[in-house]
Amino acid sequence: MGFLDPRNLLWAAALGVLVLIYLRSRSRPTLEVSSLMLFDYAAAPVASVRHVRLDPLFWLEVAGLSALVLAIAGMYAMAPARVGRGRSHALVFDLGAAMSAREDGTSRLDQARRAALKFIAQAPAGDEFSVITYALEANVPAPQTGNLAVIRAAIDALKPLAVAAKPAALSAAIIRARGSAEIDLFTDRTPPADAIGGAVGASAVRVHRIGHGDGNVAIAELDPGTVDTTRGRAVVRNFSAAPRLMDFAIDLDGRELLRHPLMLAPREQVIVPFGPLTSGGVLRARIVGEDAIAADNERWAIARSDGAAKVLVLSPDTGVRGDLARVMLAINPNFQVETIDPAKYSPAKNVAKPYDLAVMHDCYVPGIDAGSTLVVFPPIFPARSNSYAAKIPGLGIGATVDSAAMTSKLGGEPIAGPSAALRATRVLQLPEWMDALAYATHGSAAAVIPIIAAGEVPGGRVGVVAFDVRDHFLFDPDRLDALIAVVNLARRLTAPGGVQVVPTGAFVTLAVSGAARVTAPDGARETLQPDQWGRVKLRPLEAGRYVVESGGARFTVLANYYDAAESDLGAAREPAPASSAAPPPAIPAAGPKQVFPLAFILIAIALGAFVIESIILVRHASRWGMTHV
Amino acid sequence: MLEARAFEPGFLKKLDRLVLGIKRARTVRAGNRTLGRVQGLGIEPENFREYATGDDLRFLDWNAYARLDQLSIRTFRADRQVEITILVDASASMAFPARDDKLGLALALGAALAYVGMSDNDPVRMVAFAMRRGQMQLEATTFHRRRETYLDFKPFVAQIKCGGETRIGAAVDELLHHRRPAGIVIVISDFLVSQTDYEDALARLLLARHEVKAIHVMGEIESTGAYPPGLVRVRDAESGETRETVFGPEAAAACRRKVEEISTRVREFCAGRGIVYARAFGAASLDTFVEHELANLGVVR
Repeated sequence: MGFLDPRNLLWAAALGVLVLIYLRSRSRPTLEVSSLMLFDYAAAPVASVRHVRLDPLFWLEVAGLSALVLAIAGMYAMAPARVGRGRSHALVFDLGAAMSAREDGTSRLDQARRAALKFIAQAPAGDEFSVITYALEANVPAPQTGNLAVIRAAIDALKPLAVAAKPAALSAAIIRARGSAEIDLFTDRTPPADAIGGAVGASAVRVHRIGHGDGNVAIAELDPGTVDTTRGRAVVRNFSAAPRLMDFAIDLDGRELLRHPLMLAPREQVIVPFGPLTSGGVLRARIVGEDAIAADNERWAIARSDGAAKVLVLSPDTGVRGDLARVMLAINPNFQVETIDPAKYSPAKNVAKPYDLAVMHDCYVPGIDAGSTLVVFPPIFPARSNSYAAKIPGLGIGATVDSAAMTSKLGGEPIAGPSAALRATRVLQLPEWMDALAYATHGSAAAVIPIIAAGEVPGGRVGVVAFDVRDHFLFDPDRLDALIAVVNLARRLTAPGGVQVVPTGAFVTLAVSGAARVTAPDGARETLQPDQWGRVKLRPLEAGRYVVESGGARFTVLANYYDAAESDLGAAREPAPASSAAPPPAIPAAGPKQVFPLAFILIAIALGAFVIESIILVRHASRWGMTHV
Repeated sequence: MLEARAFEPGFLKKLDRLVLGIKRARTVRAGNRTLGRVQGLGIEPENFREYATGDDLRFLDWNAYARLDQLSIRTFRADRQVEITILVDASASMAFPARDDKLGLALALGAALAYVGMSDNDPVRMVAFAMRRGQMQLEATTFHRRRETYLDFKPFVAQIKCGGETRIGAAVDELLHHRRPAGIVIVISDFLVSQTDYEDALARLLLARHEVKAIHVMGEIESTGAYPPGLVRVRDAESGETRETVFGPEAAAACRRKVEEISTRVREFCAGRGIVYARAFGAASLDTFVEHELANLGVVR
């Protein structure tokens, strides 16, 4: 016996109300009489009459209400499942990166797959199965069905992902499997007790631990350094309890720069220096040779080359023009920065001079041909003449506040000290395609406003800085936070286009001109349709190179995977609970206990009680000569 | 309310020709109680008696003295009106059961008797009594002699409210405290008091030479025990005591038995003392009472 949702037992308070109504209805009325001596010969009531009175209507109502409360609380009975039919099984698979670990020529997911298929093969006819997976989130590739072909196909189609399995996703998967009598969890590590215990309900969970080895080596980090200036480094970690000999290689734009063997002591982490690089490009570090998890044997980085680029700085303030030019040159000394007063700038005269970045302070000139645009302290235009519409669609400037304070994060506390204090700041109304990168609060109500935002549309990358930078604000030693935020934004806007390095599982937004064809590292292809802002969003779940092609343009997304806990296959070999021994037990002749919800029976009892009560009432009414009850 | 009936013309018409019979003694020497006859004054010769020192010499019968050589005094008698006091119980017990309107019945009977009593121009008053906050409260009207003033009783009857405890003995004490000539005292009550209380009270009225009549008033419901069936807690209207009982046929029979016992006890006491006893059980019995029971009270046509 148990309850699927014990919190609903609170409805039993209604019984208390019913008892109160009953007690009030049967409480003895007080009758005032002329004298008690008239009742000298009247017999006193016996105690049993006073305290217990058989009132069938009351007890029928109690029975009906109790049955309804128990039904709402999800009362169920546990009983041995009938052999050969009707049992439901949920097959839950861990698709974390560790399940891709290869041992003895086969991956852990393959072992889990075989165990599950064997389990299905042994199941009596009539049993139903569902397939549920989890990694970053829970999915149901095959809902509960008795069609075993569908189940087998779903199991065969499972692929490990290059992400760490999250306990929350495991809980979500268990919750989805809760309607089944048995939950068979196929994973390579002991699941957290709190992830299962809180979600399992009345179902029986059987953990099938897969895998036994720990021989994994991973590239934990790759830093390209600064081209021609500082050395790069790669961090390689051996998670195995045995020494490992691996070949380590570094490529730049497909050209091998470095390759040498690495001898890694048990559970050792080594730093491999290289460079400095002589030119920028896409840097790739890789471990050559057999290893358990392939996803963490490769890591990507972008070596930024300080190539020449044209930057235009427009500002009505001479000091600001100088400050912004210095900031740009600090980011890249090879930038060719041109500063002009916007009143003297004519786009028509500069049509032959495309810029890589146009920085506009307290002004906005729409016709500038620039790959990226950074607007600092954007001017407020009249409502009906939104000059931002062409280049920055959807951007709105609400008002100007005299001062604001930068916050550490959205809705967080303002940064302590004077570094948070901003001067005149525009209140931005960001379009959906822009992401706020920094926030500030203003006013006594501490309203939160975005102060730095960036986004990308087919017209190019756009950044907005809401606060004013006059009077050498950026070079005020007390305003380092604001300076760092602006520098990061400028770096983002001047980064090489077409290539992004992201961690697996992160969302990537790309501005495209039409439908985008995405080619995954394993060669799988998918077509994405852009949203109203001309963007497509993809989420790399495999480590490696994603290629996105749209309208002749080509974007490359390089997905890196590394998770210390997931890649540590040795840590996954903690002692398993007794119920998690592999291989899976054979299905007994008399099946384990199964949940039998009693809701229908309880509702039937309630309805029966109410029907009997109605019959009694009708009979009473007919006895009293009442025609309507 | 039932007491209003006592002032309806139709009801009074039934009472018009009725006279309250009063036992008037023929002579003082007979030793009987005399009501309304005072020896000495008057014009109607009554008797002779021997002269005693202090007798008024004007009544000396000189002719007899001449013939018999004995001093004799002629006595005369003078008719005086008899004071009628109608003592109505206004305690809390007279208010319950409310549907019975016992107080209304008692006041209606009292007013009707007052009307009849005024037929011989005897002075009549109504007195309501109840023990309230430890003190006996008597609310009395002035004496009214002629029927033309009968309606003066109406405001009094209308304003009587039930409350307090029934203490007939205390009421009689208070009544006798104001010395009045002996007359007729009609006690109207439910007699739901201790036996000693009403017996002592009636006995003291007799000792004060009053002619006493007792009317026992009970409600229809309480005299038949016709309470709604079920388990109830009953509370004494005067003492506030409670007890639980189950109303039903058995309880009703027990109530009737108790009422009969009380009635019999009062009647036997009255019979033993020469007190006229009549009972009016139920508001519906007002007309029956007027037609049949008034004769028992000495009302003649």
